[in-house]
Amino acid sequence: MLATRVFSLVGKRAISTSVCVRAHGSVVKSEDYALPSYMDRRDYPLPDVAHVRHLSASQKALKEKEKASWSSLSVDEKVELYRIQFKESFAEMNRGSNEWKTVVGAAMFFIGITAILIILEKRYVYGPLPHTFDKEWVAMQTKRMLDLKVNPVDGLDSKWDYDKKVWKK
Amino acid sequence: MARLSHQKCTPDFHDKYGNAVLAGRTTFCIAVWTYVATQIGIEWTLSPVGRVIPKEWRD
Repeated sequence: MLATRVFSLVGKRAISTSVCVRAHGSVVKSEDYALPSYMDRRDYPLPDVAHVRHLSASQKALKEKEKASWSSLSVDEKVELYRIQFKESFAEMNRGSNEWKTVVGAAMFFIGITAILIILEKRYVYGPLPHTFDKEWVAMQTKRMLDLKVNPVDGLDSKWDYDKKVWKK
Repeated sequence: MARLSHQKCTPDFHDKYGNAVLAGRTTFCIAVWTYVATQIGIEWTLSPVGRVIPKEWRD
């Protein structure tokens, strides 16, 4: 009766859950990921569960002792209680690492591979440079540009000393 | 206190090889790129100012 009423309100999932309840008794098994979990986060300092869930006998005894006055606990016992509750301290959680060295090294490596690809490209793919890039041609071209007074204010011609026929220092 | 040096007991890959990886690969990168820039005949079209001696072109 109750099951069918829930079914009409919620849907088929309620039927299967209530079937499970009848099958297993009174405990419904949830998946691990559906339960509250532990996390070490700066912005969530007190996690939902303790780090150690299944306590050993000595740890259980310690937990009993914790219920009494805390001044009776030794320093080691306090640390033990802390370690039961938390996996890493804030200092451990926030520690830097040397991962950046590997990352930058890997990036440099692949940039180096790019250079090798360019070598192969220049060797096997590109044709010869045009003749206008020969040293002699560029020298004659520069002289012609100076004769034509190219860019005399701020550019090429302003850098040439016409009286001494040398580049200005 | 007792267990604060937890990380230091087990140095990870980056602690062991990080410096070597960084230094080695950066050298490789710089070496290869210097080779590319200077040795294989790429024309960078640098400015002729201070570099090229003009030559008479009117024959």
